[in-house]
Amino acid sequence: MGNPLLTFWANLFERREEPRPRRTALRVAAASAAQASATIFLIMRRMRAPLIVLIAIFAVSVLGLTLIPGQDDAGRPWRMGFFDAFYVMSYTASTIGFGEIPYPFTYSQRMWVTVSIYLTVIGWAYAIGSLLSLVQDRAFRQALALQHFTRKVARLREPFLLIAGYGRTGELLGHSIDALGRRFVVLDIDGERIDSLELDSYHADVPGLTADARDPGHLAVAGLDHPWCEAVVALTDDEEANLAVVMAAELLRPGVPVIARVTSRTLAERMQAFGEPSTVNPFDRFGDHLRLALKAPASYQLLTWLESGPGAELERRGTPPRSGRWVICGYGRLGHELTSDLRAEGLEVTVVDPNPAGAADHGVLVGDGSDPWVLAQADLDAAVGFVAGTDNDTTNLSLVASARRSNPSLFICARQNRAASAPLFAAMDIDARLVPSEVVAHEVYAQLSTPLLWRFLKEMPGQGNDWAAELTDRLTAVCGRHLQALWKVRLNAAEAPALGAWLASGEARLGELMRNPEDRDQPLHAVALLVLRGGSATLAPGGDFVLAPDDELLLAGWPAARRALGITLVVDAVLEYVVSGRRVPSSWIWRRLSRRPRPVTSP
Amino acid sequence: MNLEKVVFGFFVVLAATLNFGFFIGDISDPSLHNPYELFAAVVVNLIATVLKFGDRTQIGAVHLATSLVADLQLIGASLVLGYAVYVSSAGLNADWTASVVSLSGGALLANVVSVVLLVIETVSFHRG
Repeated sequence: MGNPLLTFWANLFERREEPRPRRTALRVAAASAAQASATIFLIMRRMRAPLIVLIAIFAVSVLGLTLIPGQDDAGRPWRMGFFDAFYVMSYTASTIGFGEIPYPFTYSQRMWVTVSIYLTVIGWAYAIGSLLSLVQDRAFRQALALQHFTRKVARLREPFLLIAGYGRTGELLGHSIDALGRRFVVLDIDGERIDSLELDSYHADVPGLTADARDPGHLAVAGLDHPWCEAVVALTDDEEANLAVVMAAELLRPGVPVIARVTSRTLAERMQAFGEPSTVNPFDRFGDHLRLALKAPASYQLLTWLESGPGAELERRGTPPRSGRWVICGYGRLGHELTSDLRAEGLEVTVVDPNPAGAADHGVLVGDGSDPWVLAQADLDAAVGFVAGTDNDTTNLSLVASARRSNPSLFICARQNRAASAPLFAAMDIDARLVPSEVVAHEVYAQLSTPLLWRFLKEMPGQGNDWAAELTDRLTAVCGRHLQALWKVRLNAAEAPALGAWLASGEARLGELMRNPEDRDQPLHAVALLVLRGGSATLAPGGDFVLAPDDELLLAGWPAARRALGITLVVDAVLEYVVSGRRVPSSWIWRRLSRRPRPVTSP
Repeated sequence: MNLEKVVFGFFVVLAATLNFGFFIGDISDPSLHNPYELFAAVVVNLIATVLKFGDRTQIGAVHLATSLVADLQLIGASLVLGYAVYVSSAGLNADWTASVVSLSGGALLANVVSVVLLVIETVSFHRG
């Protein structure tokens, strides 16, 4: 099955390996659809009066015209028929005015037509005015938008994500998902956010609806019970709303992965009561990242790079101080997480907060951090690290500035709350910047892009700092400092039909496969990050790694390398060249005619 | 007493009675079928149709459907009448009259169904 055409044929007609998802028979969408049609009915009801007025005016005018005696061109008495009268009234009422036909009107007719003109113009103005005001009616437009959205979602015939909450986080996630070539559907309570969807430059069409995600009916309309819905992501600012989305998804569509943003542990636990949603807490994750950065800066660097999605630039490797005292300003959710994480690493922590909750801890300095006197009490000269972690960007920036002034060698972490403050934080040249929306977006992306990447990121920190540094060097040597494509290949009959015999030979080395099909002396510009065989994963396998059938590979590299590898996997002759260096004919007849020994990769 | 119901019932019954008045008589005799009566039937039927807009119940939907059928038949009858009088070389003879009246007969049937529905609705309304 090395021929691409045969492969295409096989994929078209043979049974698909992954069965089509079953249609679930949920009827939740019905409620919202009925709501939409109710609005249409209301509109029809409101059009009753203008339409009846119009019909009545027309009827009276036409009837009058047929009853009023007239004359033909010879002066004989003549009465207008219904057709003539209707014709005359139609063009008169619509102000077209063809004149007096078929014969010039008598005075009595003209008087009647004069009255009719005013009547019909009023009737038309009333009807058209009502129609236009209805079209601009908010309820009507919402009903139309809902119907349009429902139709678009129902017509989706490929896997899609349901994103509830399209704030900054949703936007970042949307762009990463779109760059992977996958579809998503968006719900947000704010109409401006949904309008901004049209301005965002996505490759695919993104259906968006202005609706409250807490309503299960809206979720259903957005595709919760759609057979192709592959995951639900709750990213709203409102914790309750996220919980409601998790509840609805777990109860109405069990089995679909759910990822929710949370900022408190209690809420995460309340969500866990409904099944197994994956929760992302930006403060918790940042604390974990900081601990990883303290222990293994290179692992942290690689982790953040791979999480950032295609196109991300490799960030400078920071060197956070591993011993000494840290000062944390702001003892909110972030402050709590960081304090416990840093203390778990055996570091001393001084907390500065005007009214710290749970102030029983030692090392808490009560006072406003932006007050120079309070900051002086914290004894920054003797500290090694400083965290500006309040929920106000201006405060954080001024804290960073004053901390820098008293001790320029401090390792500075700062929390950036609003996207608009990004240039200011960038100008401050901060060592570790926490942007909660980015942390959540990256984390959700890592979980959703491919299961292999998530597996890789979970297991990678265990490999140690030096290993991560070496892998980072390999990656930058191959694809530069900007992350290129990340993709997954499964070495089975459907995705790699040419490889069957070669893999079965037991001598299929990864290094031989990863060569350029144009010139096999050149390596392919891609690095295998992970090989998954059965349940066991091998991280960053070397060139000597022996591949086996049904292995799953996670690769990072240039998009061109992805295409080149795709050809190698499908075309027998290319594989033969890449592995052995021999150019063999690709068609069956030429293979018969050429008197060469059988290629090593064919059975 | 509900004024809306009175107006609704009035137009539904008037549509049926006008239609009946036009239909009754020898099917091929033009002098027994007054075009003014057809005109009135068309207008009243249109008004009845508009009155039935926006009712979400099952019986409301059937009401609207019967009215639309009656409109279609009556407008068809008017068009045939107009063609016979203005276009056809034979004029309004017995054949054309028969087509017009039979079309209005179809509309009459739809109007009768409408009236029956109205009666059913009234009978099944117990509180009044």
